[in-house]
Amino acid sequence: MSDTLTADVIGRRVEVNGEHATVRFAGVVPPVAGPWFGVEWDNPERGKHDGSHEGTVYFKCRHPTGGSFIRPNKVNFGTDFLTAIKNRYVLEDGPEEDRKEQIVTIGNKPVETIGFDSIMKQQSQLSKLQEVSLRNCAVSCAGEKGGVAEACPNIRKVDLSKNLLSSWDEVIHIADQLRHLEVLNVSENKLKFPSGSVLTGTLSALKVLVLNQTGITWAEAHAQCGGSHGLDMQKDASKFVDLCVLQKCSTSNCIISAKDHTSMRMNVAKVLRCVAGCPGLEELYLESNNIFISERPTDVLQTVKLLDLSSNQLIDENQLYLIAHLPRLEQLILSDTGISSLHFPDAGIGCKTSMFPSLKYLVVNDNQISQWSFFNELEKLPSLRALSCLRNPLTKEDKEAETARLLIIASIGRLKTLNKCEILPEERRRAELDYRKAFGNEWKQAGGHKDPEKNRLSEEFLTAHPRYQFLCLKYGAPEDWELKTQQPLMLKNQLLTLKIKYPHQLDQKVLEKQLPGSMTIQKVKGLLSRLLKVPVSDLLLSYESPKKPGREIELENDLKSLQFYSVENGDCLLVRW
Amino acid sequence: MRECLSIHIGQAGIQIGDACWELYCLEHGIQPNGVVLDSQQDQLENAKMEHTNASFDTFFCETRAGKHVPRALFVDLEPTVIDGIRTGQHRSLFHPEQLLSGKEDAANNYARGRYSVGSEVIDLVLERTRKLAEQCGGLQGFLIFRSFGGGTGSGFTSLLMERLTGEYSRKTKLEFSVYPAPRISTAVVEPYNSVLTTHSTTEHTDCTFMVDNEAVYDICHRKLSVECPSHASINRLVVQVVSSITASLRFEGPLNVDLIEFQTNLVPYPRIHFPMTAFAPIVSADKAYHEQFSVSDITTACFEFSNQLVKCDPRLGKYMACCLLYRGDVIPKEVNAAIAATKSRHSVQFVDWCPTGFKVGINNRPPTVMPGGDLAKVHRSICMLSNTTAIVEAWARLDHKFDLMYAKRAFLHWYLREGMEEAEFLEAREDLAALERDYEEVVQSF
Repeated sequence: MSDTLTADVIGRRVEVNGEHATVRFAGVVPPVAGPWFGVEWDNPERGKHDGSHEGTVYFKCRHPTGGSFIRPNKVNFGTDFLTAIKNRYVLEDGPEEDRKEQIVTIGNKPVETIGFDSIMKQQSQLSKLQEVSLRNCAVSCAGEKGGVAEACPNIRKVDLSKNLLSSWDEVIHIADQLRHLEVLNVSENKLKFPSGSVLTGTLSALKVLVLNQTGITWAEAHAQCGGSHGLDMQKDASKFVDLCVLQKCSTSNCIISAKDHTSMRMNVAKVLRCVAGCPGLEELYLESNNIFISERPTDVLQTVKLLDLSSNQLIDENQLYLIAHLPRLEQLILSDTGISSLHFPDAGIGCKTSMFPSLKYLVVNDNQISQWSFFNELEKLPSLRALSCLRNPLTKEDKEAETARLLIIASIGRLKTLNKCEILPEERRRAELDYRKAFGNEWKQAGGHKDPEKNRLSEEFLTAHPRYQFLCLKYGAPEDWELKTQQPLMLKNQLLTLKIKYPHQLDQKVLEKQLPGSMTIQKVKGLLSRLLKVPVSDLLLSYESPKKPGREIELENDLKSLQFYSVENGDCLLVRW
Repeated sequence: MRECLSIHIGQAGIQIGDACWELYCLEHGIQPNGVVLDSQQDQLENAKMEHTNASFDTFFCETRAGKHVPRALFVDLEPTVIDGIRTGQHRSLFHPEQLLSGKEDAANNYARGRYSVGSEVIDLVLERTRKLAEQCGGLQGFLIFRSFGGGTGSGFTSLLMERLTGEYSRKTKLEFSVYPAPRISTAVVEPYNSVLTTHSTTEHTDCTFMVDNEAVYDICHRKLSVECPSHASINRLVVQVVSSITASLRFEGPLNVDLIEFQTNLVPYPRIHFPMTAFAPIVSADKAYHEQFSVSDITTACFEFSNQLVKCDPRLGKYMACCLLYRGDVIPKEVNAAIAATKSRHSVQFVDWCPTGFKVGINNRPPTVMPGGDLAKVHRSICMLSNTTAIVEAWARLDHKFDLMYAKRAFLHWYLREGMEEAEFLEAREDLAALERDYEEVVQSF
């Protein structure tokens, strides 16, 4: 909380009563005397104005109520990393600690804490700390050079989310001193990424980098994960970033300010720059950053196994081509990105694409997928074994959910897990048989035939159902009887249209009658008796079917029905007496 | 010293056991063949090893060859499930003598598990148990994993518990039991099996942690985006809870350091020994790092209905005892603040006669997750064990289902055929009714 109104205060991240903001102005605001800081709040509704006061514009805000003027003594610039660690983990003796007096109760009984003293002692041994969480601890800088390395060199995982770090440089200053750092989470910090300065700092052990909600752009992350190329678009000097350790980077919460919009394309390069310094990076989380992928990572991200791009609404399928050749990418999370389709134009029907060669698990929950062709495209991925596709327009209807599941399973042949449920061989068999039956009629109409010589399927059908031929090979072509569509159960559909012939009476006309299949022979005789004026006991009935010409079947049991004798539509009843 | 022997009975017990030992190995740095990971040579690693070595002993037995063998026994009356372990990823972790299987299964029938088929295997099982117990310097007690609804889980367990009490009368026995849920069950007769086994096992167990399959199913479905949770997903979640409960036994911890403490802290009367478990946070692996869970977040969450492992409403009952076990990056200051801030604490009612309230402990070993599972790795977690009278709801539901079937003597012949008598059913039902009354009595003030 210094009163110095030096220029380096501008851009710093501060905290005022729990709310975070960025300093945009430092100086005097007449007519009120004394120094003021002009801040732009993270929360756009927290402020009173947009940086102007009584006509004069002191600074600019994105939002009309995004800014305020605050007295310097109310503003907290944060503390350094080491102090923050000590504040959190070190047992402090002294009269300020009133923990002994504070007895908490739950439901009118006291809460007994057991072993807290020994825990506090253990945690105080900073040099033994391996996993450190400093979320929301107002950390703004690394502090004294080498201080961190000396005090807590064994830190492997650090959570620095929601702090006051204002630039990637500061992050590097901290991370640099931690030789064993494997997981770094700097989400929810509005970081400024360097645009041209050489970053020295190697995060060689880093495996996981979490950058959710930091406002980072693609090129920046790209650079942090290890590469000095890919900056051509920006015409920036190539940065040699030596961050090898960063394995897990988490940059979240990127907010693109009005300024940034104009240079949005430029900013996208920043992700790549950050990642440039992490040669061993395995997991990169970039949720909620409004990222759009603008360039292909050539030297960087080559070791990345997991890439989380959820909640970045600007991503679309064309951008995915730019990351399609990452050799080790096994898991790709694209939830809530508004994606509706995917295409792999380099592969034809039934072929495998060369894109995403190692992709095993794809997550596309909460998107706009509404076409079945999406899954046909996924079939082209050579390594895909697991898919999560929940809450999309195609799969939303509850009653359709089961059918949707079966269709997805049948469309993607080598899928082993769908929506986190293993696909057992039995389920796969059921799904594939159902698929084959469901589209059997379409197949026939498109020229399908069980004789391979006569099988000439239309282009259209093959595109819509690329696996159909394969299913026919596996289970056999669908039989006609399988494809009979079920007529609705109305009476008129159950009536048999029969011809009635009288072999001994050649002059009698052939009648045509519609009789229900459940009618017993006795009743048929009764009907005919009334028609022909012949007593029932004299009648002898049999029938013949055009399917089996020449063969006559006797209908001798009066109590059985026409159905029992398999009398079908179009058959001919023969009446003799 | 202070060793704990785990016995896994029936399909449920064995599958939970499989997941459980896999998780323990990950937590202790033991590879699937029993050898401890010996990565870096620097001082810190050694320091870490020293720290954990002392606790290996409770659950793992170290052989001369440097292998760590779990102190566990897997028992089933038919071979299929155990064969899964014999040929699975962890086959070299266990000694073949620890995996016992019979030839003919119990067919979801308590009577077969207890009388006919079970009685043929019991002696072998006891012998193996004796062998394992002899390897222990100072055996604390047993952890039994089983389901209520299956034939082996219900019948064989009752038989085994009786005999264990006979042989090891002063050792504690803790149970992890799977309470039947209609949505994932395959047998109609689960209520029968559950009532019968509860009646015969209650007097032999010191504390039973119930896991309601339905509650876990819902958690997996809603919170972890698993479309149709299978036993595998459910078990992975259940073992996280089991790991939290046994964490203090395996690592240095302040609370519930040995089995006797569980009893002392949680069980006011011998029959009232069914604590309810709640666990937080439960985050899907697809959403790792999207949200951060602070100590106060998870403290509030564990009072929520949706985080409980048994479906019952604690607001309708009274608490008799409660333990909160934090795990991972948790600072004592934050715990106090979090508890003070929990709004639900006002709706928590204790019985009059109980002097102590909540016991809170921290174990700073971070929670581990199984790779490829549904859960995301988190920095800290909390497990709440509470002995609340509201759990009588679970018994009431079960008893009701039992009554519906028994009124018509439906499916009874399967049991009578194996030599059981109707009288046993009546006795068991009476016992459970008495248990419900016991819970009611506990609530009443003097």
